[in-house]
Amino acid sequence: MSLDNRGRRKSSISYAKWGYFFILPFFIVYILFTLVPQVLTIYNSFFTNYMDGLKHVGPEFVGLKNYVSLFTPNKQGSILILKYAGNTMLLWLLGAIPQFVIALLLAVFFTSYRLNIKGQGFFKTVIYMPNLIMASAFSMLFFTLFSKVGPVNQVLQQTGLADKAIDFFAYKGTVRGLIALMNFLMWFGNTTIVLMAGIMGIDQSLFEAATIDGANAVKVFFKVTLPLLMPIFVYCLITAMIGGIQMFDVPQVLTNRLGMPNRTSFTLVMYLNNYLSTSKNYGMSGAVSVIIFIITGILGGIVYRFLSAQYKDPVDKPRRARRAKKGEDK
Amino acid sequence: MKKLVSVVLCLLMVAAIVTIGKPAAAEDAQGKVFNIYAWNEEFKGFFEKYYTVPEGVTVNWIINPSDGGVYQQKLDEALLNQATAADDEKVDMFLAEADYIGKYVDSDYTMGIDKIGFANADTMYAYTIQAATDSNGVCKGVSFQCCPSALIYRRSIAKDVLGTDEPDEVQAKLDSWEKFEAVAADAKAKGYYMTASFAETYRAFSNNCTMPWVDAEKNLQFDPQIEAWIAQTEKFMENGYTLTAGIWDDEKNQQMFADGKTMCFFGPAWYFNFCMGNAQDPEKGCFGDWAICEGPMAHFWGGTWLLAAEGSDNTEMLKDIFETFTVNEDVCTKLVANEAQYPNNTVVVDKFANDASYGNAFLGGQNDILAFSKLAGNIKWENHTNYDQLLNENLQSNMQEYFKGSVDKDTALANFYQYVNETYPEIVTP
Repeated sequence: MSLDNRGRRKSSISYAKWGYFFILPFFIVYILFTLVPQVLTIYNSFFTNYMDGLKHVGPEFVGLKNYVSLFTPNKQGSILILKYAGNTMLLWLLGAIPQFVIALLLAVFFTSYRLNIKGQGFFKTVIYMPNLIMASAFSMLFFTLFSKVGPVNQVLQQTGLADKAIDFFAYKGTVRGLIALMNFLMWFGNTTIVLMAGIMGIDQSLFEAATIDGANAVKVFFKVTLPLLMPIFVYCLITAMIGGIQMFDVPQVLTNRLGMPNRTSFTLVMYLNNYLSTSKNYGMSGAVSVIIFIITGILGGIVYRFLSAQYKDPVDKPRRARRAKKGEDK
Repeated sequence: MKKLVSVVLCLLMVAAIVTIGKPAAAEDAQGKVFNIYAWNEEFKGFFEKYYTVPEGVTVNWIINPSDGGVYQQKLDEALLNQATAADDEKVDMFLAEADYIGKYVDSDYTMGIDKIGFANADTMYAYTIQAATDSNGVCKGVSFQCCPSALIYRRSIAKDVLGTDEPDEVQAKLDSWEKFEAVAADAKAKGYYMTASFAETYRAFSNNCTMPWVDAEKNLQFDPQIEAWIAQTEKFMENGYTLTAGIWDDEKNQQMFADGKTMCFFGPAWYFNFCMGNAQDPEKGCFGDWAICEGPMAHFWGGTWLLAAEGSDNTEMLKDIFETFTVNEDVCTKLVANEAQYPNNTVVVDKFANDASYGNAFLGGQNDILAFSKLAGNIKWENHTNYDQLLNENLQSNMQEYFKGSVDKDTALANFYQYVNETYPEIVTP
C-alpha cells in the first residue's frame, strides 16, 4: 500500500538496471578470460617471444615477420599453414557430413508422432554416450584397437580377411577415416538432441496440415521441417564448424602428435601446439591463432549468409500479418 | 554507513587471507614438504623401498610422462616459478635424463652439491659426475645408476642361428656391424628377426656420434653415425630382418613371449625391469632364456640423475637421499640383488663382479654385473646438447614413416626439419 503509493508518486520505478547487474558476471568473465587473452594473442603475434631452454628470448617487436614466415613456401614449395588448414577442413567435413545426415534423420524419427518410437530415453542416452568420454581417452582406445597387434587386426587375421597385420596408421585414407569416424561417433548424438529440440519447437499443426494436404514424409521434411529448423540447423553447423577448425585432441593422440602419414592428418591447432608446447613461442603461435580466428570468422560468415538467404522464415510473414490483423480488431 | 562498514569488513577478510598465506619461516629450519619431479615411477619405487623419510616430512611426487617433452615443460614451469613459490611448493629435487640434463645443470635452477654438504665419492663412475657438472665445475647432482648398454639376446635363438649361446662366443660372432648384418641374414633364413624395432640399434649409433646435434652457432648437424643407422635400417627393412615397431611399442614387447621370434635387443641394466616385463614373467615362457654381450658397438643409454633444485629448504634430506643411493653400500647391494640395477658404486660392482656364486637367473645365471662392468669404464660423456631428447625422438618417428614406405627419405627429413623449426626456433636447419 505504502509501497504502491510511493511508486505512484515517483510515477515510475525502473528495474531495468538489475538486468545489467545479472548479466555483469558473464561480461566480467568474458572480458577477463576471453577478450583480454584474445587481444594479447593478437598483440603477441607481432613479437619474437620464446624460451630457449630455461632462457627467455624476446619480446622483441618484429612487425608482420611471423605472418610472413607462416606464408612463406618451404623448400618443397608448399605453404604449410594452407596445407594444414586444408587437412583440418577435410577431416571436419569427413566427420560432419555423416554427422548431420544421421542426426537429422534420427531427430526426425524420434520426433515423428506417426513412428512414435518406444524407449526413446534409452536410445537418446546411448547415442549421446560417446560424447561423455574424454576425447583423448577415446583416441587412445582407437589407437589400441587399430594397432598392428590390436584386436581389430587379430579379428581380421583370424577370420582370414587379412593375411598379415594391416598398419592402419601408414595410410592417409585410414588415418583420416578413423579420425572422421571418431568425431562422428562423438558428436552425432549431441547434434541429434539439439535438432530434436528444434523440431519439437515447430508447431505440430503445420505437420498435420501438410499431411492433410497430401504431402508425403519426404516432402514434409524438405518443405516444412527443414525450413523451420534452419535457424537451429545453422547454429549447429556453425558451432560444429568452429569445433572442427579447432580439432586437436583426436588426431594429436591418435597419431602420437605426428599427424602421420606425412602430416596429412596434421591440423591447424596441432601446428599451433608444436610452436607453443616446448619453446613457448608466443609470437608464432599467436600468429597461427590469429589466422585460425580469421578463417573461423570468414567461414562462419559464409555459412550464415548462404543458409539464411536460402531459407527465410516462412512463418514469420503470416504470423506478423495475423498479429497486425488482431491489432486492428481491437 | 552500512556500505562503508561492509567494505571495511571485506577488506579485512582479504587482508586476513593474504597474511595467513605467508607463514613466517625460521632461518635454518628444514622444510616439512619434499617435492620431487619425475617422469615415471621407476625411482619412486626404489625411493619408497630403500629410503626412510624423516619423521614429519611429506614427500610429494609430481610425475609427468617424458614422451614429447611433457616432463620438461612441466618441470620448466615449476622451476621458473621457483623464486616466488611458497617454501612448501618449491621443487626440492628433480630427476633428469642424459638427453637433457645439461639444460638444468648449466642453469641457476640447480644447486651445487657442496651447498648441501655432499661430496662426490671415488666409487662413482666419472661420466656420471661429468654429466652433472656445469661449465664452472660445480656439480649439481648424482646418478644412482650407470648405464652401459649391452646386446641382450635370446639364448635359444642364438643357439639355433649361431650354434652357441655362450656370451663370449656370441660376442665374437657379433662384434662388428658387418657381422651383425651377416648374422641377420642367417636369422632371417631360419625364420627369425634380428631386431624387433626399426630403431633398436639407434642408440648404439647415436651414442658414438662424433659431433653434437647442434653446433655452437645452433646449426643442426647430421652425424655420419646417424646416416649409418639410416643406411642399416633401410637394409634391415628391405630384407625383413626387423619388425617395424617403435622402440616402446606393444608389437615389440610381444616378441618377449615364449613364441617371440626376435633374437637381439639393446639396453642397459634398467632395460630388464623397465622394458622386458613380458620376458621377466616366468609364466610367459622365456625367463632365463636371455644373455648379454657387448655387441657391435660400445655405447650407453639413458640414466637417471637426481638434481638438487635451487631454493630447496630440505638440504639435509637431499644430502641424505644422495648418500643413500650412491655411497650407501647396503642400498646399492640391494639395488643389484633385488632390482637388477647396475649401481653407481664401484665397490658394490666389484663385489658382485668377483662373486663366483652370483648370477642373474633372468639371464640364465650369467653374471651381468661383471659383463656390464667391462663396458662401464669406456663410457665417455661427450657431444650432448640440451635438445637431444626431442631430436632423437622425432628423428625416429619421422624416419619410421620412411622405413614403412609412406614417404620418401627427403620428405621424411623435411618433416623432421619442420618439426625442429616449430619446436626450437633457435636451431637453424639445413
